[in-house]
Amino acid sequence: MQDAENVAAPEAAEERAEPAQQQPAAEPPGEEPRPGAPGAQEAADGEDEEAEAGPGPEVPVEPAADGEEAAGATPGPSPPPPEEPASPAAAPAEDEDDAPGEQARDAAAEARSDGAGGVQGGPAEDAGAAENGDADEPSFSDPEDFVDDVSEEELLGDVLKDRPQEADGIDSVIVVDNVPQVGPDRLEKLKNVIHKIFSKFGKITNDFYPEEEGKTKGYIFLEYASPAHALDAVKNADGYKLDKQHTFRVNLFTDFDKYMTISDEWDIPEKQPFKDLGNLRYWLEEAECRDQYSVIFESGDRTSIFWNDVKDPVSIEERARWTETYVRWSPKGTYLATFHQRGIALWGGEKFKQIQRFSHQGVQLIDFSPCERYLVTFSPLMDTQDDPQAIIIWDTLTGQKKRGFHCESSAHWPIFKWSHDGKFFARMTLDTLSIYETPSMGLLDKKSLKISGIKDFSWSPGGNIIAFWVPEDKDIPARVTLMQLPSRQEIRVRNLFNVVDCKLHWQKNGDYLCVKVDRTPKGTQGVVTNFEIFRMREKQVPVDVVEMKEPIIAFAWEPNGSKFAVLHGETPRISVSFYHVKSNGKIELIKMFDKQQANTIFWSPQGQFVVLAGLRSMNGALAFVDTSDCTVMNIAEHYMASDVEWDPTGRYVVTSVSWWSHKVDNAYWLWTFQGRLLQKNNKDRFCQLLWRPRPPTLLSQDQIKQIRKDLKKYSKIFEQKDRLSQSKASKELVERRRTMMEDFRKYRKMAQELYMEQKNERLELRGGVDTDELDSNVDDWEEETIEFFVTEEIIPLGSQE
Amino acid sequence: MGHTGAVWCVDADWDTKHVLTGSADNSCRLWDCETGKQLALLKTNSAVRTCGFDFGGNIIMFSTDKQMGYQCFVSFFDLRDPSQIDSNEPYMKIPCNDSKITSAVWGPLGECIIAGHESGELNQYSAKSGEVLVNVKEHSRQINDIQLSRDMTMFVTASKDNTAKLFDSTTLEHQKTFRTERPVNSAALSPNYDHVVLGGGQEAMDVTTTSTRIGKFEARFFHLAFEEEFGRVKGHFGPINSVAFHPDGKSYSSGGEDGYVRIHYFDPQYFEFEFEA
Repeated sequence: MQDAENVAAPEAAEERAEPAQQQPAAEPPGEEPRPGAPGAQEAADGEDEEAEAGPGPEVPVEPAADGEEAAGATPGPSPPPPEEPASPAAAPAEDEDDAPGEQARDAAAEARSDGAGGVQGGPAEDAGAAENGDADEPSFSDPEDFVDDVSEEELLGDVLKDRPQEADGIDSVIVVDNVPQVGPDRLEKLKNVIHKIFSKFGKITNDFYPEEEGKTKGYIFLEYASPAHALDAVKNADGYKLDKQHTFRVNLFTDFDKYMTISDEWDIPEKQPFKDLGNLRYWLEEAECRDQYSVIFESGDRTSIFWNDVKDPVSIEERARWTETYVRWSPKGTYLATFHQRGIALWGGEKFKQIQRFSHQGVQLIDFSPCERYLVTFSPLMDTQDDPQAIIIWDTLTGQKKRGFHCESSAHWPIFKWSHDGKFFARMTLDTLSIYETPSMGLLDKKSLKISGIKDFSWSPGGNIIAFWVPEDKDIPARVTLMQLPSRQEIRVRNLFNVVDCKLHWQKNGDYLCVKVDRTPKGTQGVVTNFEIFRMREKQVPVDVVEMKEPIIAFAWEPNGSKFAVLHGETPRISVSFYHVKSNGKIELIKMFDKQQANTIFWSPQGQFVVLAGLRSMNGALAFVDTSDCTVMNIAEHYMASDVEWDPTGRYVVTSVSWWSHKVDNAYWLWTFQGRLLQKNNKDRFCQLLWRPRPPTLLSQDQIKQIRKDLKKYSKIFEQKDRLSQSKASKELVERRRTMMEDFRKYRKMAQELYMEQKNERLELRGGVDTDELDSNVDDWEEETIEFFVTEEIIPLGSQE
Repeated sequence: MGHTGAVWCVDADWDTKHVLTGSADNSCRLWDCETGKQLALLKTNSAVRTCGFDFGGNIIMFSTDKQMGYQCFVSFFDLRDPSQIDSNEPYMKIPCNDSKITSAVWGPLGECIIAGHESGELNQYSAKSGEVLVNVKEHSRQINDIQLSRDMTMFVTASKDNTAKLFDSTTLEHQKTFRTERPVNSAALSPNYDHVVLGGGQEAMDVTTTSTRIGKFEARFFHLAFEEEFGRVKGHFGPINSVAFHPDGKSYSSGGEDGYVRIHYFDPQYFEFEFEA
């Protein structure tokens, strides 16, 4: 059998060649990409003059067809397969002397040209060895009619084991397209150039430049010493730009085979059954317009989803070990993402069924695109040099991996920042801003932006505009640039001087950009902060500046408006200032409150209302402010609070003490936006509460306006509803107490009856004395007044010694 | 004369003739209440954690700690048989291998004892045979205290799991739960109202690092039937270790880790207060 295989090998090569030869005839060129050449269309376009050569399909045919004739004379591009049958047998003889080896090879070559295989090769070699042998020695040759009954396997098993495999050679061969076509005069020069480029990846053991009418055909074959080199060359030299006209396309020779076997008929892909996930937005249809939130407690062992309700939270789902670390909602609230050692799972629908899984070992951080279509995951475990897997971008609908990226050690999460519509995502590396587009996940315009010194960047939430800044460099001032995408047009550049640091703050609609600039102006000491306010919706993007000399603790835009709040000063003298950007660009201080206990600003997602919180070290002081008239509606405290979370509608606020930051009194409290405490929910080792986000409203601006106008009408209805539910609640409470009391009375009656039954036994045990009532033996009482005389003596301690 | 270690438990018999004390000096002693004379000294292998007289005052029981390689035992002596005391041979000794007893009282009529364990379990042991009559586990952590109602038909437990619970003395059936945010060290039932008072707070070992505010060293009053809190009394600056009502129900006292015993008389509003029901 072994021999048969050996024989079959060269034939197989020929057989393979045959259908290949037929192929160009069978199909019109250009209808299908050239086999084995990904993106070959491009290459073909660049080589119109060669079209008559019948591009693509011929290429793979060539080496195989040539191989036959080349085997004897010129070294073929894939010599190993034809040589194969001979070489193992030749090897042992070669060890003794050079000559027999040569002879054996000749014999083998002969055998080969006859189309013969190993069976003939064996005896031929024997003959060679015998010829070479000393004439005096007896002949060990087999008689003419000898039939070998010992298999080669038995005889040369150990040698055969090391016999080169057919694949050894083929795997090391690459095909390079788009090589300049030259005549014999310049061939040597071309070979030199090619050698220079391609020997970088490994030793080239063979090359072949097919010619036609005295000119090379524009594609060549190179063979490396090992398949790894060939792979390396494909990876690195594919797309190599030799000059304007010639960009190399490099492919493995074996790939041509692979693509050759692709059926001509297009198979209709099997229809995947539709998986009905139900209404993923069912929670928006809730009659009471309640919101949901997730709660992690018992130090992460349990996760619950609740309906928020003024009275008491209503549990929807509770699971043990639903996540291994924490959870995240997708930006529009469709999915709940849970974290696991092996990856991320997405849940949704009414029963919170699993919808998608993304396998990423050791995943630690995730980020959704704003449109929820893509998920970015990060794991520190999986990255390798050739296979970037530290950051993976997934398609949330299909669960497919779209692209992997390496991660730089110093990067901050999110490494990729998404444009508001999810069309682009960008990341910053040293002196470079790389912008990628979806769904191809490729670099926008195929190249990154070189921005030397770039420190930070940020997408506008209201349009495809990127803001970035670069610090001062010698005489060049620091610069904030606004760039439109994908045009890359710079729509505004602002130079800044004596800059220490910049922070970019976008207003949620993208109407304004505030660049907080920390400066050390000449002639002054200490840091001054400028708030550079860019009005994005106006022509030329005008900028106005507010300067502050005090240290800045926090800054925040009103989400749907033109106000911003700043916390400034130093403990214990902290003030909050509210500014308003007027339509004429003037920035007006509306109000300043001093002596605040706050380190964080939390605007209601609807604007107008704000919670100033002194989290953690500031003991959880809370101030609820209405910025329409700048009144403090309530001052409160949630001792040691670590988090503040507005519900997505701006009706409620939750303050919480997370077990992750503080080990006792872990709880979350629910407040109205005005600062009225509604609930205290103590949960054992409570960790995290997250409101389920809502997608943007489908109502038009006009409809919203109309609702605002009719607010009085609605408020009456709602007030009535509230009253009803309140009286119902108090009725329920009274009812509950009544039944509790009744049950308790019943129990007490039973216990007392038993107690009375045992009266005699009690009397017996205490010698007939009735002790059942406190005053049952009042006759025995005697009142005594006892006086104690206390004498006081002072002994000086010193005198005792 | 007297104990040479911390005294963990004290009990007097119904007519206040005798007093029983148990101590970390590995002894349980019987005293004459009026004269203070030591009547008996019962040596043990480890600290005595709980002790008590039965209803008739004839039988004493005490439990020892699982300590220094010794098991937790409950020992029963009949005082009417002096030989038991003289030879330090209890008429019955129940071993508790699983979880040590942290609190124990006599049940009604002296037929059994009710013991709370480190694991949060409650056991009712027969005082005659020593067998477990009832076993329940309603608490998830150590039971710090058990106190009976005046008529002994029910009792309240105080546990490290931040709750106090009400049980029936005969069946050990769980009746009510009173929840707080801190370990409860002691709980007492009012003799004449449906009230219970709970004392506790942040554990003593953590107190130095936290303010009194976070410690919550308050005595908290709950309604027995509704399980709702209706009043708090501040004052201690360490956790409360023990609470007790006056037998007339008009005042209560609390002892704290801060070294103070506080005696509080109730305001008239306390007696008038009623839940809407």
